[in-house]
Amino acid sequence: MNPIAIGVFIVIALLTLGSGIMVVTVRNIIHSALWLIASFIGVAALYLLMEAEFLAVVQILVYAGAVSILVLFAIMLTRQVTGEGVRVVFERWWVALLIALGLFGVIVPTLWQHGSTWEEASKLAQVGPAPVEGVAAGLQVATATEIGRSFMGEYLLPFEVISILLLMALIGAIVIAYEERTRRRRVLTLAEELALKKRGIVEPRDAEGAVVPREAEGAVILLDSEQA
Amino acid sequence: MADALTQLGFASWLSVLIASSIKVTLILVGGSVGMMFLTWYERRSISYMQDRRGPNRVGPQGLLQPISEAIKTMTKEDATPREADKIVHFLAPVVMLGATVLSFAVIPWGRMFPVDLNAAVLFVIATGGLHSIGMMMAGWGSNNKFALLGGMRGVAQLISYEIPQVMAIIPVVLMTGSMSLQKIVEAQNDFGGLGWYVFSPVGLLGFALFFTASLAEGERTPFDIPEADSEIIAGYMTEYSGMKFAVFYLSNYMSNLAVCFITATLYLGGGNGPGVDALGGFAGGLLSLIYFLLKSFALFFVMVLIRATVPRLRVDQLMSFAWKFLLPLVLVNILSASFWVALLRWDQQWPQLTEWFGAPSTADATNWGRLAIAVGLTLLINAGAVALIMRLTNRNVQKHLYTTDEELALGLS
Repeated sequence: MNPIAIGVFIVIALLTLGSGIMVVTVRNIIHSALWLIASFIGVAALYLLMEAEFLAVVQILVYAGAVSILVLFAIMLTRQVTGEGVRVVFERWWVALLIALGLFGVIVPTLWQHGSTWEEASKLAQVGPAPVEGVAAGLQVATATEIGRSFMGEYLLPFEVISILLLMALIGAIVIAYEERTRRRRVLTLAEELALKKRGIVEPRDAEGAVVPREAEGAVILLDSEQA
Repeated sequence: MADALTQLGFASWLSVLIASSIKVTLILVGGSVGMMFLTWYERRSISYMQDRRGPNRVGPQGLLQPISEAIKTMTKEDATPREADKIVHFLAPVVMLGATVLSFAVIPWGRMFPVDLNAAVLFVIATGGLHSIGMMMAGWGSNNKFALLGGMRGVAQLISYEIPQVMAIIPVVLMTGSMSLQKIVEAQNDFGGLGWYVFSPVGLLGFALFFTASLAEGERTPFDIPEADSEIIAGYMTEYSGMKFAVFYLSNYMSNLAVCFITATLYLGGGNGPGVDALGGFAGGLLSLIYFLLKSFALFFVMVLIRATVPRLRVDQLMSFAWKFLLPLVLVNILSASFWVALLRWDQQWPQLTEWFGAPSTADATNWGRLAIAVGLTLLINAGAVALIMRLTNRNVQKHLYTTDEELALGLS
């Protein structure tokens, strides 16, 4: 391997591993999410080093760009973000460690057995134009063209099945959101309130002078005026 | 450049390292110095359009204004709120600038390509998406409700406009058959360097949609809602001062410049133009660079023109513009792009269609005939879609602007 490639690989791998460890040890949950983004970007850089450009770009687009923002939004909307009293390391941390070591023990021998693939991967990681013809069959699906060909050829059926699954999820999300929407009341704009006051209709009030909710009167204003 | 260094006797890895460092330095220095004078240019042109003077005291025509401002921002006090999350607060502008600079890696400078990625188009989009992280970090790290609100609004806007922006590029990728910017530039070299995509109906609509969505991505007026001065005072940048604020400003301008470069590459033919191929060699490369910069700065002038004339949108208008106007048009454009590709390469790509299903063969037609059919059909589809969607949108706008008494009574009786 090229000396620059090795150096860059070591730096990126250490950064990725380090930020991965920070994700599970940092107390502040927002910081944890930010470290997660850093490790996503590190993985993307590793892909780029192996010249799997498409995978690297999709990693940034989907994980670093979209999933991380989703995670951040979810944390901010649902939790106490300071998390000072949150315990990071639990009593049975050694169980998790054992599972992780076991997985590692599966992955490393597998990679070792497919030695040719490993060799080819390191060959691919050389800086500069790499020969594409001599690459092992499993690694050829790396560029955008190859991925497109295999989606429209060899893997057409799985691709279609996944598309239908995603479409169903999309429709389901819309259905759920739509049901939610019909129950919500529309908030009047200032102009509408003014128009109401001009026409002599005032907000209904109870004996103490508090505004009676409109649902109590039986007149629910829907968000869309067409549905009313 | 790396090859030339290898010939001089450097080791191959060292020459790659040196060449890459030179490229990165050129991009960073060129980007930030160019941005300084773009701010001067923008303020001068807007003041001219609004009939006032603009910067004109420091140096001839106020040309040294950016330098004095740079010194001012560097010497200004750099305050951090006591309760802020110091590290996140510090890193947010760095993340923003880093995301912007990354996208400069794949921009073709005329005929020169710093890096020719296979998925360059996606790369630009992906690095644009990284902005939202920086925005979120700035908003949250400042420990200020206005900053957090501004950050949230900015992220929502970025996510909404990323969809039409990405989908506006799909027609170009379809027509070229590749996501590499180099291939896209080469594909627009027909007709003596004038076969730009903007001259086809598909490309024209795509250009308008992409540029509009990119204005929103780069937070330019009329979409500069995240930093809306009048409502939430500078948005996610509320707690930033001195050089950190300047870095935000720099990344904003550089990303707008990158948008101009990318638009010029995708739709206006990049460095292609009459005479580039005829000259060839170094002179042709120089001419292509000049063409490219001219096109990009013309686009930047359009941005300035829009800023000087169009008022800012409201948040709800912004969202419905993205989802109800841009998205349907983009979908129609993808459809007509596939018609375009099919009509131009019907018999080479799908001979089975004529053999098995008796589809009409265009094998006899000349290339010009096919082109005429393709232009006619896509023009019909796109113009029809634009007319229909604009009519629908206008109707909705009028309905929401003028609520009649009957509608009020209907809603409240």
